Amino acid sequence: MRWLALALFLLAAPSANAAEEERSELAALLDADNEAFPRATEPRPFVFPDDHGPHPEYRNEWWYVTGNLEAASGRRFGFELTIFRFALAPGIEASPSAWRSNQVYIAHLAVTDPGDERFVVAEKYSRGALGLAGAQASPFAVWIDDWSIRARDPAGERERWQLLAETAEIGLDLELDAQKAPVLNGDDGLSQKSPEPGNASYYYSITRLATAGELRLGDETFRVTGTSWLDREWSSSALGQEQTGWDWFALQLGDGSELMFYNLRLRDGTSDANSAGTYVRPDGEAIHVRRDDVTLTVLDTWDSPEGGTYPARWRIAVPAAGIDVEVTPVMPDQELFTTVRYWEGAVDVSGTVSGRAADGVGYVELTGYAESPE
Amino acid sequence: MPVILKASLGFLWRHPWQLFLATLGVCIGVAVIVAVDLANASSRIAFLQSLESITGDATHQVVGGPAGIDESLYVDLRRNRGIDSIAPVVESDALIGERSFTLLGADLFAEQALRDYEFATAEADVDANGRSVFTAFLVTPGSVVMSEQTAADLGLDVGSGFELTVSGRRQAATLVGTFADGGTLAGYILADIATAQEWLDQPGRLTRIDVRLDEDEVAAFRAALPDDVRLLDAEGRTRSTLEMSDAFMVNLNAMSLLALLVGLFLIYNSASFSVLQRRPLLGILRALGVTRGQAFVLIIGEAAVLGLVAGALGVLLGIWLGERLLFFVTQSINDLYFRVAVTSVTISQFTLVKGLAAGFIASIVAAAVPAIEAAASPPRLAMARSALEKETGVAVPRIAVAGIAVLALAFLTLVLSETSLIAGLVAVFLLILGFAMTIPWIVLRLTRVLAPLARFAGGVPARLAVVDIGTSLSRTGVAIVALAVAVSATIGVSVMVDSFRGSVQAWLERTLSADIYFGLPGGGLDAGLVDAATALPGVSAYSTTRRALLPAADSSTRVIAIRMAPDGYAGIDILDADPDSVWPAWEAGNAVLVSEPYAYRNRVGPGDTLTLPTDRGPVDFDVLASFQSYDVNGSGVMMSRRTYDRLWDDSRVDSIGLYLADGASVAGVVADVEALGGRYEQDVFVSSNADIRDLSLSIFDRTFIVTNILYWLAVGVAIVGILGSMLALQLERGRELGLLRALGMTPGQLGGHIAFQTGTIGAISGIAAIPLGIAMAWVLIDVINRRAFGWQIAMDVTPGFVIAGLGLAIGSALVAGAYPAWRAARTQPALAMREE
Repeated sequence: MRWLALALFLLAAPSANAAEEERSELAALLDADNEAFPRATEPRPFVFPDDHGPHPEYRNEWWYVTGNLEAASGRRFGFELTIFRFALAPGIEASPSAWRSNQVYIAHLAVTDPGDERFVVAEKYSRGALGLAGAQASPFAVWIDDWSIRARDPAGERERWQLLAETAEIGLDLELDAQKAPVLNGDDGLSQKSPEPGNASYYYSITRLATAGELRLGDETFRVTGTSWLDREWSSSALGQEQTGWDWFALQLGDGSELMFYNLRLRDGTSDANSAGTYVRPDGEAIHVRRDDVTLTVLDTWDSPEGGTYPARWRIAVPAAGIDVEVTPVMPDQELFTTVRYWEGAVDVSGTVSGRAADGVGYVELTGYAESPE
Repeated sequence: MPVILKASLGFLWRHPWQLFLATLGVCIGVAVIVAVDLANASSRIAFLQSLESITGDATHQVVGGPAGIDESLYVDLRRNRGIDSIAPVVESDALIGERSFTLLGADLFAEQALRDYEFATAEADVDANGRSVFTAFLVTPGSVVMSEQTAADLGLDVGSGFELTVSGRRQAATLVGTFADGGTLAGYILADIATAQEWLDQPGRLTRIDVRLDEDEVAAFRAALPDDVRLLDAEGRTRSTLEMSDAFMVNLNAMSLLALLVGLFLIYNSASFSVLQRRPLLGILRALGVTRGQAFVLIIGEAAVLGLVAGALGVLLGIWLGERLLFFVTQSINDLYFRVAVTSVTISQFTLVKGLAAGFIASIVAAAVPAIEAAASPPRLAMARSALEKETGVAVPRIAVAGIAVLALAFLTLVLSETSLIAGLVAVFLLILGFAMTIPWIVLRLTRVLAPLARFAGGVPARLAVVDIGTSLSRTGVAIVALAVAVSATIGVSVMVDSFRGSVQAWLERTLSADIYFGLPGGGLDAGLVDAATALPGVSAYSTTRRALLPAADSSTRVIAIRMAPDGYAGIDILDADPDSVWPAWEAGNAVLVSEPYAYRNRVGPGDTLTLPTDRGPVDFDVLASFQSYDVNGSGVMMSRRTYDRLWDDSRVDSIGLYLADGASVAGVVADVEALGGRYEQDVFVSSNADIRDLSLSIFDRTFIVTNILYWLAVGVAIVGILGSMLALQLERGRELGLLRALGMTPGQLGGHIAFQTGTIGAISGIAAIPLGIAMAWVLIDVINRRAFGWQIAMDVTPGFVIAGLGLAIGSALVAGAYPAWRAARTQPALAMREE
């Protein structure tokens, strides 16, 4: 279904980069409606659990859960379950039909099995109608068909969620318990993506969720434990004209701290000044990280068999926080050929924080390095 | 060049008309076969292709009662059962102007798992908000996508708005994109499922859920479904839809074979002539050392070449003809069976090979006997004509006896084959063949009876003309047979169609007991409109009808739920039970009447039980009786509206019959109902019973257009045959004619003589055709129609058709004889006599 892939690809462009030509096409397609969507122009108060729920007036939004898991045998796994929400139009006419909706949900599910060099991906689409797919704040839930992330203990002080996703090849049934409160990225949660006002998103993360449950790969089921990361973002804007993609790092370090950093790449190969991140101390205190606080060095690359070259190992240093680490994918091929083509994978982190060993794990997202599938 | 080939070519070169006519005969025969095949295959393939793209990868369908299924089932399957290879479908009829389409309401997200609707355009700016195809389709109510061809036919561009009628209500639609489908979806309009539900005013309801299941998943999936829905095999549904039209297509194929059969006589005819005329030549060739085998090969070879050339020309002509025929065939299929939009003619290699082979094999078979005859020619001298005719005279009774044996075989086939349509058609051909074999004998008898009459009326030359027909049977016999067969087919088919029409007309008059009917095809009459119309002044009683299809795994059952008006009962012709006891039981409980075709096809009758899927699960119904019905789609069961309402959650009404009080004006009430339609914004169809009768009969007539075309083509082939025979006869008799001229016959007298002779040939053919025609009519009515459609027709032989057949035979012969007569009249006596 080429046209659908294209349409969704164009819609998805703000979250993951697309080829320039297609992006401007997106701009053309959405221009008329675009003005009517609210934009993220100034900081807003965040209230939880309300803000875990959807913000349907914004054009796009996502619930991004990634994590590193380990079976009792010591076998490593990585997983990603992302649910995207898109508004196709600023509003919708009232209708007797429950199918009439402007909300579309897409989900990406991936499991990394470095031991077997396996990377399994699944994708779902649905309109946000009839309860087929949707999101709600109270009790918190976001779902598409039988894939879901929902609150186990809505009244509790910390987020305790259940994540369920099932395909013929993959089964995930995980309990996620937040170890820290949500942190607001950027300027109190307003994350500026380019100089143009409104080219920004509202962005928060839960950087450490203790995770336990079952993971099934084919016929094998494993009891697993580990840590996960939640990224939440909503906005109505696309990338700036000069931006070609981004590298996103979510690192959970051995000393109990976390580092998130996104590097917005410009057409000329340099890093956009709006690139930024957040350092979360073991006690939960969040410190804003600007581009100039970070030194990002690519140490290795990987050529995708389908074309395109991705960076494959990095050195990341944040002198102000005392961080100096090397980030290595647990396996090179963690590329998703979903509606949008991108690389999203589990990584190992080795290095130090303030001179002390602080090896850890993390997830990295790389967009804009290869043409999307047609 | 071998002398034998030279001799052959030389002969054919000197007799170009003979070559031409034989070629033409085979050519038309082959053309008709190819054309019918092409038209049938094209409509069938178009239907299959569109269904294939609509079915996609779906293997099954979840269907419910006439009111569809609750969409919550779909949500449950996805959310709680984790089944994602399913897609909801809302389907309905839709009209754009006069053209009808199938409106498909779909959810494009779910479609990804099952189907690939490829859009031709991904343009921006397809609606007033400047949205993309995809966004507008989902978000803007009234957005639709259709085939590129359909859009072009309707003169619509992407972005243009138009009106579309669904459930009798006009809706504003916008074309937001087109399919790059090559026309396979020409009969469909695709809309978002929300748009479809809005237009149909059926929120919460789905027509069906399409499912893709692996074989090992089917049982578990079926078991988990609630009672009021069923899981059907998608392929089975396609098959049963197509089967509806099978009988129709088989009949057309049979008609096309008839044309070839007549063509076959023609080839035999011309091959015989060529042998006959070349007997001296063949004798000389044999004397020159040409063997029997070579003589045989010569004639067969000629026939083979002729068969190939004529076959090839026939295939080309057939393609041309098929394209013209296609329109009528698809029109009939649309009238009678299912919607099909054919945008291209499908020419399969099989059809072409079949056409070529038919021409070739027919030529060889037809030439076999003359070729054997040629091989039998003794060296040097040709047998005298008189001797040959004597031989023919001996053969004629023998052939007639064989013909009677074939007739017996035809009868046996009919008796033993019970319900097989194909066997019925085989019997028809055996009947024709057997009868054809007795015709020469009948001709001999007739000439002997007619000769004295001719002498009495026209003197010796007239007697001579008649006797000559009998004595030159070797030349005229086959032409007479061909003409008789063609004419008998026209008599048989005319009598059948006329009887059929008469029965349908009588049935319509009886069944349409109300004065006025109004309704919406597909149902959904506004309840308020129904209340208002039945309460109109002048209306004394009313009936309501709802037709609902209950899809089933093997064949679907149509339920006709009727609320009878007091005068309505008498309109139903109960065939096999006492109406007085049937009706109370029918109104009271779980009981049904079955239509005659339904009873025939499903072998059910009074006392049987029928299990139907209802919204309360499967329910057993008592079959009380069968009733007469010529409604092709009414092949179903009739139940009381009360019973229907008890077992199905479907309050819809398709049509209403209004019975007027004495003195009320039909036109006045029609106008009132039309006004009500306007008030309730429904484009209802309002009509007096006379108008419905006329409309039904015009659809009936339309159905037989193809049949008519086919048998006229058979007559055409026969005329070609007669023309060939007469030409050959006159040419061969050139010397004799010259003698007649020399004896003082004027050119006019000679022309008249020949015209009289050909007219007599026509008359004899016509007389011989009458019994065959009537026998054919009987078989067509009592065997073919019954086996194909399950209905019984009262046979009614209108003398007019018999007389017309006779007239056709004489007329055809005269037309065919005109040129030979004119030619003979111009014969210069001396020149003619000097020949040879």
